[in-house]
Amino acid sequence: MNKDDFLDAALKRHIKAPPPDDVAVERVLKRLAGPLPRQKPPLWRLPNVLLDWQFAPAWPRVAALACCAALGFVIGITGLDRRIDTADAGFTVASSGDLGSLVFEPEALTGASP
Amino acid sequence: MDDSDEALMARVARGDEQAFRTLAGRHVPAMLGVARRILGNAADAEDVAQEAMLRVWTNAPRWQPLAQFRTWLTRVVVNLCLDRKRRAPWVALEAAGDIVDPSLGPGDKAESDERERLVKAAIAELPARQRAAITLSYGDGMSNAQVAEILGTSVSAVETLLIRGKQNMRRALDSVIDKDA
Repeated sequence: MNKDDFLDAALKRHIKAPPPDDVAVERVLKRLAGPLPRQKPPLWRLPNVLLDWQFAPAWPRVAALACCAALGFVIGITGLDRRIDTADAGFTVASSGDLGSLVFEPEALTGASP
Repeated sequence: MDDSDEALMARVARGDEQAFRTLAGRHVPAMLGVARRILGNAADAEDVAQEAMLRVWTNAPRWQPLAQFRTWLTRVVVNLCLDRKRRAPWVALEAAGDIVDPSLGPGDKAESDERERLVKAAIAELPARQRAAITLSYGDGMSNAQVAEILGTSVSAVETLLIRGKQNMRRALDSVIDKDA
């Protein structure tokens, strides 16, 4: 017997399909008998799902969102911390003179100018 | 009623559990055998067979009959086995007894046992893909084209796997072969 024949014979002897182990088969089938997981939906249905626009039930929610946005806009404009009739009184405008002194005045302690 | 694998798969795709169980009863024994020979471990082989059948169930609606069901299922099993072997190193299962040849005397028998043990160990030491190719080719008698389809590779790559597998075995069994040849 040459080397290749020996190897082929050894492989066929050891790798050949074993007789089915009935106990193991039974065990696997029993495990599969339980509740099965959910199946994956077929891929060709996915575009239909994505294209199935259903706006009708969402309109009340869109209206509620618009109301919230409008309310937020009004509150943002008027401010909650001051009354509406005095809303304009709070603004102060810095004059150009004030700004100049802030920017160019030399430092009191060191005398260094910016 | 048509109870071919493909017809059963069409029913499984519609959620027919009875068809799934028929399919499982038909293929689990063979898949257990393939997994056991690649993994060398009965417990892992059972897990792989179960996992493969669950994949059949979950993926049935997406299954396209491009190849034979049996080929596709074997591919799932082989891939699961290769994944498992990649995750954990193979532990040799030495529990199985060797075949006893009654015609041999005690000395010859011991030598034969030793030779068989070495062959088993050499097969167990093969890299996973070479082992899978050899299992499908020598064990199940598949053609190289079928093995290539299952392993997701080309026929020439399968031939290379088989040649390298045999080279590795020849290297491991050099002393045994020289004595026997």
